[in-house]
Amino acid sequence: MVELKNVSVTYQNGVEALHNVNLTIHDEEFAFVVGESGAGKSTLIKLLIKEIDASSGSVKVNGFDLGKLKQKDVPKLRRTIGFVFQDFKLINTMNVYDNVAFVLRSIDAPLKYIRKRVPYVIGLVGLKDKMKAYPSEMSGGEQQRVALARALVNDPKLIIADEPTGNLDPKTSIEIIQLLQGINQCGTTVLMVTHEHELVKRFGGRTISILDGQIKFDDII
Amino acid sequence: MRFSSVTYLAKQGLKNIWTNRIMSFASLCILTVSLLLVGFAVLFVENINLFVGNIEDKNEVILFLEDDISDEQIDEMGNRLKAMSNIGSVTFYSKEEAFQDMKAGMENAEELFEYIGDDSPLPDSYRLRVNDISKMSTTLMQINELDGIYSVKAPTDFVSVLTGVRSLIYILSLVLITALIVVCLIIISNTTRASVDFRKREIAIMKYVGATNTFIKIPFFIEGLLMGVFAGIIATIITWLGYDALVDVLMSDTTLWGALGISGFIPFSSVAVRTVLSYIFAGAFIGSIGTVISTRKYVKV
Repeated sequence: MVELKNVSVTYQNGVEALHNVNLTIHDEEFAFVVGESGAGKSTLIKLLIKEIDASSGSVKVNGFDLGKLKQKDVPKLRRTIGFVFQDFKLINTMNVYDNVAFVLRSIDAPLKYIRKRVPYVIGLVGLKDKMKAYPSEMSGGEQQRVALARALVNDPKLIIADEPTGNLDPKTSIEIIQLLQGINQCGTTVLMVTHEHELVKRFGGRTISILDGQIKFDDII
Repeated sequence: MRFSSVTYLAKQGLKNIWTNRIMSFASLCILTVSLLLVGFAVLFVENINLFVGNIEDKNEVILFLEDDISDEQIDEMGNRLKAMSNIGSVTFYSKEEAFQDMKAGMENAEELFEYIGDDSPLPDSYRLRVNDISKMSTTLMQINELDGIYSVKAPTDFVSVLTGVRSLIYILSLVLITALIVVCLIIISNTTRASVDFRKREIAIMKYVGATNTFIKIPFFIEGLLMGVFAGIIATIITWLGYDALVDVLMSDTTLWGALGISGFIPFSSVAVRTVLSYIFAGAFIGSIGTVISTRKYVKV
């Protein structure tokens, strides 16, 4: 669950990126966050993963009160969140299996579990045949599927997808959103940030629109 | 941390060396050169200390004894001198021996010696070698407390010059070695920073998926440690070959060294074990700490 109460973020240069934001995203929800560049979408994501702190107000994510969370405990918060980035952020020197297993290794998971869980998740995103392929040998859509598998492998409570379709063609974009919806139906909360209004209209659902650091619209379309 | 994670991280450290082989090679070269600079500076200072030590060993203190001193008193004094911790050797030089040596050294003075007669006019004496000349004044005070001494002849000027030289060498070597270590650390931290900078994307991803700082730093630590050990081994081989070759060249003409009272340089074999261990430990320390310091900036995501 994500809960923001009266949250404002002002950067050191004086720019107010978020102003008095109140937002609740319940468990198992799927929500789109839309807005133009500079509206405050990225600031919202940075806030949720505690890359930055709120200047005022309170932020709670998956039971963690981020205002009180110590820096050394930030990894614990991030292990409950899966990320999908616009530029995939895969490690080019690792194959698909290792890119996905990397998350579990990073959190000191047992080797037996890694060997069982990683192929299963890669299978879920339809890349069972490409486990040994390297990112440079794959299409954009396939790379984003690997990123999805990586986000999923740790069985997170929340997946934050930051413009996951930004580098993909329309057909692949639809496939990726369908995959995210499938993940959501299995019980994972999904927060997808995008500026592609057409895609949002096509899929519908809860849509949160941010403009000039404030929530201008929050409803089901 | 699980054993499987430790082996995974160790493998990652090894793999990183190969994956980033150009940066690794640059770091290895700089580490080796840095170790060699410090190593040769230490060997140079040790040789200088050896030379000063050789000169120090030539110090001699002479105790002239009173004329009416008995044989028992002479023996007792000898025992008390030998019992003093800072006195290395004690030799008794009788008035008869001194007179004979004097006669032998003055061949054209028969008339003078005829006038003096057979009885030696010279006093009995003890000749001593002091172990640590920096403690000369304390030792002389202890000697002066003994009964039966007429006068003491000590090379106090020589001692003050040598003590000054030793202090100067100590300070200079300390400054030189500290400066070299600081320069090495700066160069190495910059080189490893470039290597870490090259992988900042990887580190950022690790942070986003919830890896702890320790988990992120361990492969870099292992990488730096291994590089340091490799550099230490290479530096040892170069020092071994280079130092012995240098000593051979320097000792090809012994005239100059003989004139300076220098009989030889420290052989590498006598410092080999110490050098190997110092190089490897220093390399491992500088390499591992250097890389960990360089990763600090990037783990703050």
